[in-house]
Amino acid sequence: MMRLKGLPVVEKESSVKGLGPGFWPFTGLLTLLAIANIYFWAVTPLSRWMPTAVTVATQIDELFRVFLAVGIALFIYILGYAIFFSIVFRARKDDPPDALGVQIHDNHKLELWWTVLPTIAVILISWASVRVWFPIQIASASTPAGLVVESIGHQWFYTFRYPGINGEVTGNMHLPVGEPVTLNVSSEDVIHSFWVPAMRLKQDMVPGLINVMRFTTDRVGRYRIICTEFCGVEHGVMNKQYLVIEPKAQFAAWYHSWQVKNATASNALPQISSAPIDLSDGSAAAGQVLFSQKCSACHAIAPFSKRIVGPGLKGVLHDPAHPNLLSGKPATPANVADILQHGLQGSYGQMPTQVQNALTDKDIANLVAYLNSLK
Amino acid sequence: MAVAATHVGGGIADHVHPEPQGFIRRYVFSIDHKIIGIQYLITGFIFLVLAGLLAEVIRTQLMNANGGFVSNNTYNEVYSIHGSAMVWLVVIPLMTGAFGNFVMPLQLGARDVAFPWLNMISFWMFPVAGLMLFSSFLMGAPVAGWTEYPPMSLQGEAGTSMWCAAIFLVGISSTLTGMNFMVTILKMRAPGMTLTRMPLFVWAQLATAPLSMVATTALAGALAALFMERQFGVPFFDPTKGGSPLLWQHMFWFYSHPAVYIMILPAFGMISEILPTFARKPIFGYKMIAFSSVTIALAGFMVWAHHMFTSGLAPFMQLPFMLLTFVIAVPTGIKIFSWITTLWGGKIHFTSAMLFAIGFVVLFALGGITGIFLASVPTDLHLHGTYFVVAHFHYVLVGGSLMGIFAGFYYWFPKMSGRMMNETLGKWHFWLFVAGFNGTFLPMHWLGFEGMPRRVAVYDPQFQFWNRVESVSSYVMTFAILLFFVNILVSLRRGKKAGPNPWKARTLEWQIPSPPHYYNFKHVPTVYGLPYDFSEPLPYRGLDDELTDAPAPVPAGAH
Repeated sequence: MMRLKGLPVVEKESSVKGLGPGFWPFTGLLTLLAIANIYFWAVTPLSRWMPTAVTVATQIDELFRVFLAVGIALFIYILGYAIFFSIVFRARKDDPPDALGVQIHDNHKLELWWTVLPTIAVILISWASVRVWFPIQIASASTPAGLVVESIGHQWFYTFRYPGINGEVTGNMHLPVGEPVTLNVSSEDVIHSFWVPAMRLKQDMVPGLINVMRFTTDRVGRYRIICTEFCGVEHGVMNKQYLVIEPKAQFAAWYHSWQVKNATASNALPQISSAPIDLSDGSAAAGQVLFSQKCSACHAIAPFSKRIVGPGLKGVLHDPAHPNLLSGKPATPANVADILQHGLQGSYGQMPTQVQNALTDKDIANLVAYLNSLK
Repeated sequence: MAVAATHVGGGIADHVHPEPQGFIRRYVFSIDHKIIGIQYLITGFIFLVLAGLLAEVIRTQLMNANGGFVSNNTYNEVYSIHGSAMVWLVVIPLMTGAFGNFVMPLQLGARDVAFPWLNMISFWMFPVAGLMLFSSFLMGAPVAGWTEYPPMSLQGEAGTSMWCAAIFLVGISSTLTGMNFMVTILKMRAPGMTLTRMPLFVWAQLATAPLSMVATTALAGALAALFMERQFGVPFFDPTKGGSPLLWQHMFWFYSHPAVYIMILPAFGMISEILPTFARKPIFGYKMIAFSSVTIALAGFMVWAHHMFTSGLAPFMQLPFMLLTFVIAVPTGIKIFSWITTLWGGKIHFTSAMLFAIGFVVLFALGGITGIFLASVPTDLHLHGTYFVVAHFHYVLVGGSLMGIFAGFYYWFPKMSGRMMNETLGKWHFWLFVAGFNGTFLPMHWLGFEGMPRRVAVYDPQFQFWNRVESVSSYVMTFAILLFFVNILVSLRRGKKAGPNPWKARTLEWQIPSPPHYYNFKHVPTVYGLPYDFSEPLPYRGLDDELTDAPAPVPAGAH
């Protein structure tokens, strides 16, 4: 067989006694660390860092602790041996030139072991996961529904519907403690998500779909509801509402107060008005308040060119440089109201409709009066 | 083997065109796989710098709980382009286009890839697509992240359509490269190089190529649909018009999960070359490593819906996707154990390439372990969409893929340039990078668990401390990458001459001059065994003239 010119041929293979110096003591040390880690997760509930508000949260936490115990133990061995072998088997200054490592290619017994052991580990992990997964995702569908609540995601807040309360409940979501709950979530505009970290549960709120969460409340408290699916400029602050789990008497009082407040509210879903809106009695002051709540995330009170998402709206009705709106129609109050009603798909993207922005006809009249007042 | 017969007879394999003269044909519209590989490398590094600067905008914004460095909308644009650019303009082109192109034909003993002109076309789509992607900032960049879920992406500004077009184009480039590599590996191996004598980097490219070919076409379909819906109102995804937002998620992840393996399998290959070379011993379990790459690639096609456990997938559908995802832990574990055992009994030389390779094994392992938390439905219900996910995929893509790219670069730079890199700077690069990397991404695990969602421009003040630690660490990481680029520039001018084989490696590319000649091999060599037996003579015949001044037989075959 040929050899390449210029390459050394004298090479020296090293030999290792047993598994190398210090292998077994070091393995013992790693095993102690791994056992200490497993023990730590066996005795430490995760509620130390994050309270649990529903019964399934405890079961999910147990699975978390199994993964933490096994995963960190595995990592201790990988990191440990990588460092240990690097030190023990480093090339040394007094090695003969071109010293070689031990020339072994494989070891079928060892390879069999590290195929079989991970396979067993995968089976155990699968079993542990399915054991928690089955009751929360499958079996719960055939248990009594309990209190059925609906939550709808909007840009950038949640509303709720309760049986026996007309219309929508805003602000915090209240639930009685110790009750089974079925929570149906959906969205009115883009995809949002309903996540309560203390419940360890989350479902995306997908427009046109109803996703179901089932759980039993078991701890009184106020828990943040957080959106985890990107939903627009204010996605980061869609975390200001709370799930309030409270004793049954307090819940009943809260429930009653909303029954009274929403007594005349309609259960029909809001509709885009078919007729042109009467703009005659719009209030610029009310419009200004509404603007800061509903419009200012995308529009500045500044000249046209000052864009956030949509254009600046200062003097939108009085700007000689822009006699037409982005809809192509002349800048008149009626045409501004038309955009507020039906939205606009244009070069700046999508302006939401009246329904998506939850604006009443009266709101639109107020907004137009306010925009008209900006010169 | 019929092909081998013609090779030995000096027929078609010794048929070589003369090297084109003139700057344009040599360095711009080159059809030489080595030049194209270096073009990919330079372009990819330029996009790495740009997308890395975007990452620093992200980290600077998150220094304060109430943000304030850029507006919310700009922040959303920045992280969307950061993610898109890192995936499609940095990691995938560097893994396949750059290292695949430069190294794979040399390791095969081939004179070029199977379709050199196609290779040139693939390359030139890539910078054009990159410019298109970054130009979307001028028309309102996409804001819905690199995943661009509708209906959010339907409302995005004009730049979202540009994003679709740019990714579509770079996707075609990736598909064509996949086809090219597949044919090259199956048809252009040197005589005697059976599949089970191929270096492991070639095996990794062989496992990656079908992923690029098949999965990327699904992405092209999804992008075309999104583009048509945005521009012409064809209702694929808008639920108010009868479309389905989940359809996009299925199509997108049917590509993007295999894409995860496009981004990591070539790194597995690089590590499998670097570890034996610097441990001075054969790779442990050659067949298991090769076979597990193929297993991972196949299984990678069957797990995409694990990205959608909270989206409204029917509950019974969660079960197969969860279990199949767990199964991938077995071949991945085999690889990690084989690499660590390769270190055992070695004579380890801690070059910069070796440090990055060992760092890769450890950090990638951690990314794999956190993957289990996300693959299991009950724990994913809590973690989906949080910073835990951000931590997980950065361990895989930065601790994994990018560390692999650095390792591969330190390893093959002498072959590309003929010069050595500066080892002192290389070691500073390694240790600062590893420290900065862990400081940036390790705390994200507990931030995510404790309730910090991803893709937020502002966050709850309780998370500010760890976010500041992350931001400061990210500056350290950026500084380390700056050292890397300084090292490249200095070494190109003043680096020590490398000679043909500075690492005493045994694969074919190291048996020819650095940088190699236009035609790679004077005579196509014949291969007699695996390239990892350090105590044996080299398993090649026909390389005797390579390092001599004997004229190459080019004119004989030219016409």
